[in-house]
Amino acid sequence: MDMKRMRMAPLLIALLCISPIAAEQSLDTRIQDLRQEILHLNRELFMLEEDLLFPANTQVAVFLSMDVGEFFALDSVELKLNDRVVTRYLYTPREVDALLRGGVQQLYLGNLRSGSHELVAVFTGKGPHDRDYRRATSLNFEKGIGAQFVELKISDRVSRQQPEFLVREWD
Amino acid sequence: MTSRLHRFLFATFTASALMQMPAWAQELTAGEVRDLHFGEALFHFYQNDYFTSLSRLLIAREAGRIIHHKDDAELLAGGLYLQFGMHDEAERAFRQLLDESSDPALHDRVWFQLGRAHYRQGKHEAALTALERVEGHLPAYAAAEMPLLQAQGNMALGRYAAAARLLEDWQGPADWLPYMRYNLGVALIRSGDDDRGIEQLEALGRQPARNDEDKALRDRANLALGYTWLQQSDPQRALEMLQRVRLEGASANRALLGVGWAKSALDDHAGALLPWRTLWARDRLDGAVQESLLAVPYALARLSADSEAVSAYQNALAAFDAEIRRLDAAMSAAEAGELVDALLVADDPERARWHWQLEELPLSSESRYLHALIARHGFQEGLGHYRDLLALGRHLDAWHERLETFGHLVEAQVLAAQQRAPVVDGRLAVIDAGALVARRDALAARLDAIAEGRDVVGLASDEELEFWKLLEELEAGPALAAAPEEARERHRLLKGHLLWQMDRDYGYRLWQQQRALAELDEQLAKVEPRLQRVLEIRADRPQELEALAERIDALSPRIDLLKDRVALARTEQAGQLHAMAMTWLKEQRQRLLAYQVQAHFALATLYDRAATAAPPSPVAEPGS
Repeated sequence: MDMKRMRMAPLLIALLCISPIAAEQSLDTRIQDLRQEILHLNRELFMLEEDLLFPANTQVAVFLSMDVGEFFALDSVELKLNDRVVTRYLYTPREVDALLRGGVQQLYLGNLRSGSHELVAVFTGKGPHDRDYRRATSLNFEKGIGAQFVELKISDRVSRQQPEFLVREWD
Repeated sequence: MTSRLHRFLFATFTASALMQMPAWAQELTAGEVRDLHFGEALFHFYQNDYFTSLSRLLIAREAGRIIHHKDDAELLAGGLYLQFGMHDEAERAFRQLLDESSDPALHDRVWFQLGRAHYRQGKHEAALTALERVEGHLPAYAAAEMPLLQAQGNMALGRYAAAARLLEDWQGPADWLPYMRYNLGVALIRSGDDDRGIEQLEALGRQPARNDEDKALRDRANLALGYTWLQQSDPQRALEMLQRVRLEGASANRALLGVGWAKSALDDHAGALLPWRTLWARDRLDGAVQESLLAVPYALARLSADSEAVSAYQNALAAFDAEIRRLDAAMSAAEAGELVDALLVADDPERARWHWQLEELPLSSESRYLHALIARHGFQEGLGHYRDLLALGRHLDAWHERLETFGHLVEAQVLAAQQRAPVVDGRLAVIDAGALVARRDALAARLDAIAEGRDVVGLASDEELEFWKLLEELEAGPALAAAPEEARERHRLLKGHLLWQMDRDYGYRLWQQQRALAELDEQLAKVEPRLQRVLEIRADRPQELEALAERIDALSPRIDLLKDRVALARTEQAGQLHAMAMTWLKEQRQRLLAYQVQAHFALATLYDRAATAAPPSPVAEPGS
């Protein structure tokens, strides 16, 4: 009698009992191993790429982070190093969301010789009251022998109801 | 087709939504990120790019760039391994955290994650054991999720009473309440406490729904209740529950079928025809719809409308026959074609696996039958693996190309270094740091002497010095002595004035010179190490380039090997998926064949009844 099939037990089983398929186990394990090996390989490849293209003694990396973002909706950033545009980045909503949730974007990775340098970042987006907003911030820094990390940070200055654009060097 | 599949998938998702919630991810968002590279891993993670996130995290960790978020990084790595289906690695990461930290809050988080990891692997005992180690330091969202997880684990092990106890004491966000109530109702009924279970489901079944998910869950509660009452031979109450289910939705077809059976049980066979005939117009792949093809003639026969019943059975037979032919065609197509690749035609490779479910099915003859199969966890999981393997293959292809470029780059650098070497050597040859230092020392000695003797002339400007020398020469020569008194007086005045002027500026000039010397010292201090670095680079660069070339040479065959293994695993995975699909299609076919037998049997009974013109004997219920 098919009625039996329609009774509650299969419905509940279908709803609650989720288990992997036994027959897949060995392939599953092998796929796990493959993923692990590819991850290791990937790590080595990234490190090779960094050593080759951006060796530590000349490496400079610029990161971008956001804090809150109530007074500024980010559209794009233009980055200049020593008056030369090194990157222009247009953000997708998913990237902005990732930034707002605490993610930090590596905006630029390049090489600079040791000595004095100037970094200028121009932020474009929507400011308070949905108005077009464009603001620049700059940093003069001394590039030493090791890798140089710089963070651009967009945060809300609640007291002024305005966004704030900060830039700082990391040790 | 798409919306239909979506409904199916949705049904699965709602049931496991709580389990899939990335609680550990929520926690990572709390507080300021104090390591840029940890934040970078989060940036990719929040975009569901888990592979890049995990790769970045591993690199940053190895390079010692994560200082403040070591535990968070390990927890994130464990969670990412888990999301990536690397359960063993996830467990290793979590256990390492347990070994290395004595923070009870961290221990709780780790045990919780381990419990979730085991649960997802179907290791329910291990999951419950891990969750028992949690001591009460979990953040609120995880503390709310934990009893739900424990309850699901207990239910999976058939311990319904324990699950019900956990759920009865549960406290958590209001929007989780419908799921909790549904599971509680189920646990109570399965533990034998029907009254209280039904009470929970009834409460849920009457509850106002705020969104589609709530509505779907409410439908499920009413559907479950309806069939429970049918099972308990209370068709009136069953009818009441089943009629609450929406006419459109994942539960609608089974509800309509049940409404028909409830009416039939109440001897309202004419009333049963309406919901069953409604089902006729719906997708004939659905089990409830297929059963309605037999239920309608059954009701007609019970109403003694034998000729209409015969006609309906014949229609049903024709419908089953057509469906079987389509299934045969689908099986042939699946055997011949690339079933799995066809399923992934509408797939977006950029979407991460976590939220990935196959929501768009191509309209091929075989895929039409697979929606129910695809909604199953096992098939989804397998398809997810297949999709990951495709992505990994593409990833390896991309690295293969880049590695070739790196190889060319290193070759070009070796060549450039060889060409530059004579120029660099030539420049280095003319740099004599020792001579520079000697010149500086001479200058310093001279300045010391000037300061010691307050030699104001020693610090004179070029113009003053020239003038001073002229005056000195005049004084030493015979001409001045022979000159008139007025001229000698003028010479004396000029010399006095010049001396006074140099004396006036002496202090400032001495300070200026001393400062210039200090600056010179500063520059000179940099010259030596800079020169040393240049010499080192000059000496080391060939070896560095050679080492890079060796690394490239070593990595290249590894990529090729892994590409082969990925391709092999993908083929095997496709084979497994194909086998699952074929099994499913055969099951569908078997069911239709069984329905056909029932229809033939019922038809024979009706023909016998007509031939003998005997008093009506009951036609067997479909499925009996």
